[in-house]
Amino acid sequence: MDVDPRLYEQIAVNDNDIHNIIMSYLVHNCFKETVESFIACTGMKQPSDYLEDMEKRKRIYQFALEGNALKAIELTEQLATNLLEKNKDLHFDLLSLHFVELVCSRKCTEALEFAQMKLTPFGKEQKYVEKLEDFMALLAYEEPEKSPMFHLLSLEYRQHVAEILNRAILAHGNHPTYTAMERLIQQTTVVRQCLNQEHAKDGPPPFSLKDFIKS
Amino acid sequence: MGGVEDDEPASKRMKLSSEELRRLSNGSTIKEPVAGSSRDLMARPLQSEGGEEVVGSKGVIKKVEFVRIIAKALYSLGYIKSGAHLEEESGIPLHSSVVNVFMRQILEGNWDESVVTLRNIGLTDERTVKSASFLILEQKFFELLDEEKAMDALNTLRTEIAPLGVNDSRVRELSSYIVSPSYCSLTRSPKQDTVRARSRSKLLEELQKLLPATVMVPEGRLEHLVEQALVLQRDACMFHNSLDKEMSLYSDHQCGRDQIPSQALQILQAHTDEVWFLQFSHNGKYLASSSNDQSAIIWEVYETGVSLKHKLSGHQKPLSSVSWSPDDRQLLTCGAEEVVRLWDVSSGECLHVYEKTGLGMVSCGWSPDGKWIFSGLNDKSICMWELDGKELECWKGQRTLKISDLEITGDGKQIISICRETAILLLDREAKVERFIEEDQTITSFSLSRDSRFLLINLLNQEIHLWNIEGDPKLVSKYRGHKRTRFIIRSCFGGLEQAFIASGSEDSLVYIWHRGTGELIETLPGHSGAVNCVSWNPANPHMLASASDDRTIRIWGLNNLSTKRKEPCSNGIHYCNGVY
Repeated sequence: MDVDPRLYEQIAVNDNDIHNIIMSYLVHNCFKETVESFIACTGMKQPSDYLEDMEKRKRIYQFALEGNALKAIELTEQLATNLLEKNKDLHFDLLSLHFVELVCSRKCTEALEFAQMKLTPFGKEQKYVEKLEDFMALLAYEEPEKSPMFHLLSLEYRQHVAEILNRAILAHGNHPTYTAMERLIQQTTVVRQCLNQEHAKDGPPPFSLKDFIKS
Repeated sequence: MGGVEDDEPASKRMKLSSEELRRLSNGSTIKEPVAGSSRDLMARPLQSEGGEEVVGSKGVIKKVEFVRIIAKALYSLGYIKSGAHLEEESGIPLHSSVVNVFMRQILEGNWDESVVTLRNIGLTDERTVKSASFLILEQKFFELLDEEKAMDALNTLRTEIAPLGVNDSRVRELSSYIVSPSYCSLTRSPKQDTVRARSRSKLLEELQKLLPATVMVPEGRLEHLVEQALVLQRDACMFHNSLDKEMSLYSDHQCGRDQIPSQALQILQAHTDEVWFLQFSHNGKYLASSSNDQSAIIWEVYETGVSLKHKLSGHQKPLSSVSWSPDDRQLLTCGAEEVVRLWDVSSGECLHVYEKTGLGMVSCGWSPDGKWIFSGLNDKSICMWELDGKELECWKGQRTLKISDLEITGDGKQIISICRETAILLLDREAKVERFIEEDQTITSFSLSRDSRFLLINLLNQEIHLWNIEGDPKLVSKYRGHKRTRFIIRSCFGGLEQAFIASGSEDSLVYIWHRGTGELIETLPGHSGAVNCVSWNPANPHMLASASDDRTIRIWGLNNLSTKRKEPCSNGIHYCNGVY
């Protein structure tokens, strides 16, 4: 059960603001055709600089999601030079994606060599050691899907890395890294939590998007 | 050859067993006659096959186990032939043939065969089999790495080690070893990264610990059992007071009373009035005594006896106590409600006088680092000075009494003194926390144990109480028997590990109790006046000193000390009046 609408109905919301929110979401996620339709329907101004990069970003995201990390790295270097140099964590995550690919295709010797050349140099810094150990452990199992580290092979993990990469590219181009929509929902949740804690039973319940949509 | 033959009739086997009994027990006496023991053995139910034969008078030692651990001990000592001979003669092999094969395979590095043999040993616990296999394959892994066969090692890891399904965290570490030659996990010591495989005999030791003892007799088992017995004997020894005495296996260890000092070896007659206080230095090389005659004396302790080193004069009042510096190079003396003087031990010179105008000092003590001295004053406060006389701190209020001891704990944090007639104050000077020990009777004196954990308190009602002062003070023991009606009598800890309590008494005797049980062990006659104070030499558990109103100090030692004294005396007592 969400909060009673009568409490906030009277606040006016500008249509333009709503359009911007939607646009920021679409751009962030590279829905190029939808962006073009939306602009045509609403008569908004077209944000020129976004569109070219959007296509490239989309391709990079896709490659990362598939696990084709080397291609993703190549294209990222083209689009945003020095990004990976400055973002070692991300670089490591991408390289390890490639490593996981090799392990999954049972190419052990290649995986071992790749790890020795590209991944172990990161091990000099203490913060990478545990992550490195996690990945190396995959080598020990003939069926990595059944190992304790199986989550490193999952789609969720690749998605996670792909999103970090996406945000990094946006940041590199001085664009917002989070969509307005995300931020709004995050803020609402926190505000409601605070109110809830302060007023206990009397306060509004914690924010649930599901309830909100239903109400 | 003398071994037990299987086809001999049961009764004959009995007799042979008791014969073996005698041979095996190595000289320890069996009190029951032969017939009796056979009867005992007969009375015990015999298992039919592979008979559960026993040795020893209590019938709890299984013969097979006994022989096997002896054989193991023989091999450990290097007596290979004897060990083999024992196995043959007794018909009891140390290890089954399968186990022998297994051990050889391990030492020769036949890993795959050894894993197979492991299964043949017939272990019931699957986990043990897996853990042992893991250890063996891990060794194989590391030896391959050392030979730079990384892919082979990886293969072993993938196809043999990981599938065991044990010790995932170790598997993880092993993966990292393959990838990075200089890898050093946090748990492995850095020294080991150059040669990764440990020696095969170490592996065998690890396996021995893992496998049940019936399969592989643990290393050092016989030695462990013997040590256990010796330790138990030593702990049970009530009068245990000997440093040198080696425990022998030939007979049960028992210190007799003869390890407690009980004979007066020397009488020191240098004071001209009642001797009120005395204390050995921390290193036991000196003894300091103080007297109503307003002087203190430093005595030096030699192999042959105690002799006068310096007479310290200067005080204008009788001396109530002395205190040794932690390094024993200096001595503090306290005049009763007068001043405290600092003396250099080797020269006998007075280095400093500590006083406070208008007040008199009643006690003195040192900080454990020897940098500061403390003193109780007759306005009931306690003060702290640097050695050069600069006053650092003063705790005012009801901290001490006109007659009180003063002690500082070994960590330098607590100051202990009698603050009220029936209470002792434990003041933590850093945390500014006060704890109290409350008694029902008036407290006359106290002393602190060497480890600063216990306090021995003398009470007006002729009892001595032992308190544990860690955390909340707790009463631990009471000691009675000595006499005290009018004077301050002091007691002390002493002996090896401070296992004894000694005290003076108004009936001229020295009393000694066993600390743990509270039992009165000795009363030593000799003085002709009240014994005011006793001190036990911290470095020599066989030396005790007592100070008396009869103006003498007696040095007590062991009876029958012919080994320690060069000049035998007629009655064993040596008189010393300052000219030795």
